[in-house]
Amino acid sequence: MSKDLVAGSHLEKLLKEGHFVVTGEIGPPRSADAEVVRAKARLIKGYVDAANITDCQTAVVRMSSIASALLVMAEGIEPVIQMTCRDRNRIALQADILGASALGLKNLLCLTGDHQKFGDHPEAKGVFDLDSIQLLDMARRLRDEGKFQSGGEIKGTRPRFFLGAAANPFADPFEFRVWRLAKKVAAGANFIQTQIVYNLERFQKFMEMAREMGLTEKVYILAGITPPKSFGMVRYMKYNVPGLDVPDEILKRMKEAKDKREEGIQIAVDIIQQVKEIPGIAGVHIMAIEWEEAIPEIVKRAGLYPRPEMAEKPLMVWAQAAPEVVEEKVPPTKIPEKAAEAPLSVDLGALKEVFSALHSSMEALRHGVNLLHDGLANLEKTLLGKPVVPEEEGPAEKPSEIPEKPKEAVAPAAERERPAEAPEKEREKVEAEETKPAEAVKEPAPKEKEEEAKPPEGPKEPTEAPPAEAEVAEGPKEEEREITPPQVGEELILPELGTSYRQVSERAAGIPEEVYKEPGTAFIREVEIGKGAKAIKIGGTNVLPFHLFEGEMRHRPKIAMEVIDVRPENWPEALAKHFADVWDDPGAWAKKCVEVYGAEAINVYLISTDPNYLDHGPEHAVKVVEKVLKAVDVPVIVWGAGHAEKDVEVLREVSGLLADKKSMIGPVEDANHRALGATAIGYDLSVIASSPIDVNLAKQLNILLENVGVPLDKIAMDPSVGALGYGLEYTYSVMERIRLAALYAQDEKLQVPFIINVGREVWKAKEATLPSDDLIGDQEIRGVAMEVITAVALMLAGGDMFILRHPKALEITKKLISGFMAAQN
Amino acid sequence: MSLTKITILCCHYTNEAGEEDFAGIPACIEVRRFPCSGKIEVVDILRAFLDEAEAVLVAVCEKNKCHNQVGNLRAEKRVSLTQSLLAEIGLEPQRLRLAWIPRLDTGALVEEVKNMYEVLVDILSQKGDTK
Amino acid sequence: MIVAERKPIPRILKTIEPFKKIALIGCRGCVAICSTGGDREVEIVSAALKLARKKQDRPLEIIEKTLIRQCDPEYLKPLEKIAPQVEAVVSLACGVGVNLIADLYPEIKIYPGVDTLFYGANPALGEWEEKCRGCGDCIIDLTGGLCPIARCAKNLLNGPCGGSQDGRCEIRPDVPCVWHQIYERLKARGELDRLKEIWAPKNWIPAGHGGLRRRVREDLKVNKPNKEKP
Repeated sequence: MSKDLVAGSHLEKLLKEGHFVVTGEIGPPRSADAEVVRAKARLIKGYVDAANITDCQTAVVRMSSIASALLVMAEGIEPVIQMTCRDRNRIALQADILGASALGLKNLLCLTGDHQKFGDHPEAKGVFDLDSIQLLDMARRLRDEGKFQSGGEIKGTRPRFFLGAAANPFADPFEFRVWRLAKKVAAGANFIQTQIVYNLERFQKFMEMAREMGLTEKVYILAGITPPKSFGMVRYMKYNVPGLDVPDEILKRMKEAKDKREEGIQIAVDIIQQVKEIPGIAGVHIMAIEWEEAIPEIVKRAGLYPRPEMAEKPLMVWAQAAPEVVEEKVPPTKIPEKAAEAPLSVDLGALKEVFSALHSSMEALRHGVNLLHDGLANLEKTLLGKPVVPEEEGPAEKPSEIPEKPKEAVAPAAERERPAEAPEKEREKVEAEETKPAEAVKEPAPKEKEEEAKPPEGPKEPTEAPPAEAEVAEGPKEEEREITPPQVGEELILPELGTSYRQVSERAAGIPEEVYKEPGTAFIREVEIGKGAKAIKIGGTNVLPFHLFEGEMRHRPKIAMEVIDVRPENWPEALAKHFADVWDDPGAWAKKCVEVYGAEAINVYLISTDPNYLDHGPEHAVKVVEKVLKAVDVPVIVWGAGHAEKDVEVLREVSGLLADKKSMIGPVEDANHRALGATAIGYDLSVIASSPIDVNLAKQLNILLENVGVPLDKIAMDPSVGALGYGLEYTYSVMERIRLAALYAQDEKLQVPFIINVGREVWKAKEATLPSDDLIGDQEIRGVAMEVITAVALMLAGGDMFILRHPKALEITKKLISGFMAAQN
Repeated sequence: MSLTKITILCCHYTNEAGEEDFAGIPACIEVRRFPCSGKIEVVDILRAFLDEAEAVLVAVCEKNKCHNQVGNLRAEKRVSLTQSLLAEIGLEPQRLRLAWIPRLDTGALVEEVKNMYEVLVDILSQKGDTK
Repeated sequence: MIVAERKPIPRILKTIEPFKKIALIGCRGCVAICSTGGDREVEIVSAALKLARKKQDRPLEIIEKTLIRQCDPEYLKPLEKIAPQVEAVVSLACGVGVNLIADLYPEIKIYPGVDTLFYGANPALGEWEEKCRGCGDCIIDLTGGLCPIARCAKNLLNGPCGGSQDGRCEIRPDVPCVWHQIYERLKARGELDRLKEIWAPKNWIPAGHGGLRRRVREDLKVNKPNKEKP
């Protein structure tokens, strides 16, 4: 058996040092009376190495195990908390495991739990989401792998428990009992407490089987002992308690005894003597049901007294943070001196630390608010079309403030070091052999170290900032493409956003990183569209959009422009004027989008093939796509008319042209996913999976596509979007939920990028097409603003690729992306 | 006001009792015959009550004497189910009785009807119903 | 089949308290087979309700009808004729039927006359026993055809628990411990190794904990003529 401590509890140490241990059991009261628990603890203190705290045993409502355990711990006894699956699902179980560990509890006995039928609330809904073996497995993974049951990772401190389980050698089928024990060991049991042993013959046989399977090498087995209190009790146990085996001999002894209690204690002692001789028995677990006062006598008579000293007193973790509260609640006489002393010495330091951290984070917050104000003002100016006054003003303010702030942040950090370090050293001196409490005390320490490590970075950053500022004035790469015909209102000329960036770690000085960082547990798949130098990749992020401080966006959002396969009808002048010269020739149109406006891809919209519109045949589509392909070298997306059957017909033909171009086709719906999925696989194309704005439908379509063989990294989702004023909020919410499920809930089938057709939605909106007038202003500014706002909003919801129509919208959106991505520049 | 009505549901093998046999009982006696008591359904009993019967007697052949082996046993269970239904409704289950009658023994049947009538009188008087 | 139990007559009476004329609608599906809501039971419940109301001197008129099924819209058509003649409809079908009626005919005041119990078998006349819980992820290929989800009081996946003694369930000694049965079954088949593995926690989404469960078969849907967008 490994001697390495998994949790470092007293019980674990004693077992690993080879002591024959004694554990007891404390049943919490059916009231909120803490004194009952304390009194029970005092009865057995010094006679047991640890005490189980039952968890609503026999399904009767009692004070919770964890709360009672703290009371017991305060009395100087190490508790073993029992946890049953009856009342909690896997969420609550894990929450309690985390909480119990945070409170300093270190032993956990995992049980399925008595059925509620036996208790005082037989009408309760039994949960039984997990069984004891699954609970053990979960607790072990939480501890050893740092993983939640769902597979998600624990970011930060893991709960460390010495894990126990129950075994019943007396239940049926007997041959399977030892196998069930083996399962519990495999699931993570470090120690076992058995059902009450009266039938030694059967118990010995069980142990023999356990030894043969090598289980006694892997787990410490504590035999369950219960002193019978009366003849009635043994008789009841024999006939009414399933899974308990009481031989007639015990019955006889109790029946004939004059002093029943004396005989009961003697029976317990006799059994202890005998189980002690069984190889593989590492201790006894004495369950003196409602008769705790029998324990000292049994332990003494069995020659197990005195018990080894506890190396250190249980540490009241919860008392550290708020010692005053504890003092108020508990009359001073009741606080065991040793328990209260230790934390108090730490507290001054810890408190100072807490306050100074609070101060500096408030400072950081205030600064952040200032920055927000600036940014907001800047955006307002640009989007509302008021001529932007000295444009550098916004960004310029930032650097001026930066050098000041970090100094403040660093100072308290340095201050903090002194008081916090001192008590730690003191402790080390005082309690030389201590290992565990030191760890517990250190808990705040690691955070501190992180902070210590960070401040040096802090001052560096701001010094780097000014040069970055200079770069902005020059204008970034996108600007190199000169914009030829800006026949747009001056209001639409957006200045470049500042690209200087101050790391969040610096701005959040004083706040530990783990508090604000929560990167996703998975990456969105990368989907590649196009071939050669102009190929683009979308997806590849493990954070919410632009949360660059906590993760990675391998690719910035991409923007395509749309080419329609016929001369568009009903386009408002504001949009039409930019394309009227090219819209009779899809090739020229595409070329203009790329070369003049800077589109990163072209979306060919085959609207005319719609049977309800012009019903052009596939040959028309082929011609159009051919022209576009010839004219541009950026990736090409072909978007059918959205008629499930016709699209299959058209896209099949078009796909011939796209072979080898790694293009993207769509929209694929559940009605035509088989046909189009097969086409895409055949020509090595990626697909647009188009579903009606619903998380589950989106997911289902991805699954369907996967089932026909389209891999997830060949899929981009079109969740069906609504423009500003036309359901943007709903779209946002659904996209956000999809993305959250993908990143944080391991929903693999949703780990797929989004492709969003903004232009089509916006430019059919009434507000975009109404002519200019005094009330609602200039048509073009209005349309562009709608397009940009829709695009940016959906970008913040997780959009990875956008199809826009207005050149100005594309330009502004790109600039905004640059700004958002500043941290990665 | 008409006489209190008692309905007898019986196996057609059980008896051939006629109106004159019940002349001594101050009640309106209706006899409904079935091919076998096993054919008497719960709903037949309930309908008898719906048809103004204040009490219903289900007369079946003696045990082991059923022409169809177990028809009477079946009737016994249905009577007991119907009694519980009557209780649910709030009618006294005693208003429904099962009587094992030797085949063609009119005297025994009349005796049972008399008993039934007395029980009914008891029930009605307890309820203060002076019909 | 879906097994149901008639609600107590007073409970039904309370439901229909305000009405003078109702329809009592049976179902010839599962509830008829388990003798809760077929033609016979419609007659009985109808007579009982009428008798009770007669006793209260508030006669009740009942239209009795038993449909072939209540879980298919087409079999509900007769309701369209009956409903306008009555103030309320009491259904003796399982909850599925009552819900579908409520879905399709919002104007009908529909009330349940039975409690829907479980999916069960009819092992002997007059006995019904739960065999399946419809958890959406069947594992009885691994358990010798015996379902621990439906038949183990604690839904154990790593049973039998410590309360299994003499092959009986500790919750109800009249019921066999299904895990004991599974053990014996697999032992006889030489497949005990299966029980020596740790079975992972169950995914409860298919069991309905992920929201309303639906099943769609595209190929079975009615073909509607195309009416697409402009």
